[in-house]
Amino acid sequence: MRRLLNPVALLSVLVLAVTLVAVIWPALLAPYDPFDSVGTARLEPPSWDHLFGTDALARDVFSRVVHGARLSLLAAVLATTAGAVLGALIGLVSGAAGGRVDFAVMRVVDVMLAIPGILLALIVVASLGFGAVSIAIGVGLGATGSFARVMRAQVMRVRNEEYIEAARTMGLRRPTILLRHVLPNASKPIVAMASTELALAILAVSALSFLGFGAQPPTPEWGSLVSDGRQFIATAPWLSIMPGSVILVVVLAVNGVARNLGGNR
Amino acid sequence: MRFVAPKVLQALFVVWATYTVTFLLIHALPGDPVLAALAVRAGDAATTDPEVLDALRAQYGLDGSVLHQYVTHFLALFRGDLGVSMATGYEVSDMVARALPKTAAVAALALALGFAGALSFTIAAYLARPHWLRSTISQIPPLGIAIPAFLTGVVLISVFSFQLGWFPASGANGFSSIVLPAITLSLPTGAVFYQVFSAAVFEAGDAGFVRTAQAKGLSQPVVIGRHILRNAVLPAITIIGIQIGYLAGGTAVVETVFSRDGIGRITVDAVLARDINVVTGVVMVVAVIYAVTTMIVDLLYGVLDPRIRTRVAAKPRARATTPAGGADA
Repeated sequence: MRRLLNPVALLSVLVLAVTLVAVIWPALLAPYDPFDSVGTARLEPPSWDHLFGTDALARDVFSRVVHGARLSLLAAVLATTAGAVLGALIGLVSGAAGGRVDFAVMRVVDVMLAIPGILLALIVVASLGFGAVSIAIGVGLGATGSFARVMRAQVMRVRNEEYIEAARTMGLRRPTILLRHVLPNASKPIVAMASTELALAILAVSALSFLGFGAQPPTPEWGSLVSDGRQFIATAPWLSIMPGSVILVVVLAVNGVARNLGGNR
Repeated sequence: MRFVAPKVLQALFVVWATYTVTFLLIHALPGDPVLAALAVRAGDAATTDPEVLDALRAQYGLDGSVLHQYVTHFLALFRGDLGVSMATGYEVSDMVARALPKTAAVAALALALGFAGALSFTIAAYLARPHWLRSTISQIPPLGIAIPAFLTGVVLISVFSFQLGWFPASGANGFSSIVLPAITLSLPTGAVFYQVFSAAVFEAGDAGFVRTAQAKGLSQPVVIGRHILRNAVLPAITIIGIQIGYLAGGTAVVETVFSRDGIGRITVDAVLARDINVVTGVVMVVAVIYAVTTMIVDLLYGVLDPRIRTRVAAKPRARATTPAGGADA
């Protein structure tokens, strides 16, 4: 608990708490409707009335960023969860099976690690179509390889522990040993890793939505808000810079918490 | 020769396996690629006449059994044949060949900038005396991975193109047009370099031979240059493969931000058009570049560090991996 007192961690938790509110109940934070124009004030610079200014359709950009949190972050969480679960499963089976199965599975994992994650995601999006879900599947698949690696290493470590030996002597069946004894003892690093991967997933998801593969307008999404603002960059740079900075701050906050999770091991 | 053959096989394996994973992914996921591409081009008015569809499938090499496609496309790779784009009708290999030099120029400058930046930060952190200064300096480079590339790009454009007017905001004309994209890409590259440099330098800094050199009365620059940097640069070579991953991923965003033609732009346009042939083609080109670079680096490493050659039979070398695990950003 002592670690929570460090200012970076405290600030990170605070940022994540506000972000969580935006995801669960955006209307609490957003002063305006994200889809309706707030009058005739188009491309207004940031002010107290409009923290992030207004866009070309006179919509409040801050409200759009707040409402965009849900889709962007849920996609990132979905991607990380999918990658962690699938990767952990592959690592668990591979590590427990050993021998030729392990060798073959790990060569496949090597390849998944060799293909840049974003290319893997692009293949998935090109074949599945656009939208937050296919982005999440693509990004999750890109993260699967590293989870599998870590899980396998953990299984290898736990496999020879005495309590596993004991469970085996007691005559427990293999699947039971794997799920009840190996998995819980091997999954701690996976949790720590998932928090780091979440930061990367937020970046990957917003990059893909920036490229235009996410939700279609007018649905607000962090990456597409940045790309919407890009055409006004000469006259209204805040349209892109403000949503982009929010992504950066949230990524840093996730990293800040992740580092503390990792350090507690 | 005994040292070279396994490396060549390894490179071939990476190419084959990438092809297989890509192929499986495309065929396992639901949806007909030809129908999808037609729907993007013509909306709902797209033809569904089976004869026309069959003709198109044959034209794009998507006809025949799955196994047949798998084998013929892989063999075609070795002839440099990447198929035909469904959206533009051009040969994919021609599209890639035209775009590659533009991307390579940016990537090379980004690597150089990232390398130099990481080296400067490493030396600064090593020399910084009060503890707080050192830890502050070493906090900065990791930010390079956390900053979204589109944010860096947009900020650079708005400051250096529109306010100061130093560099063009878009296009691919001459050296001045590659500076801002390269700086954008150099941030994540530099962050990865820094990770390796600082680990190696701080380890070397505590090593006996550095103490000896200092005790002999050698000046600080000589100690850094001759003893510490040499130990830092060698491991940096091994992560070139990881860097290519970052560059391949980052270039899609960067070329979109700066409206440049290049590999990244081709890929993004292909995904938008659901043009699976071009996406596969680009992935294979990246895989080949990755495999060949890794192979050269492995061989080079054996030349630079003779210990590897003798050790290779006894103990497999630990692979350099980042905790981040690839180029997700």
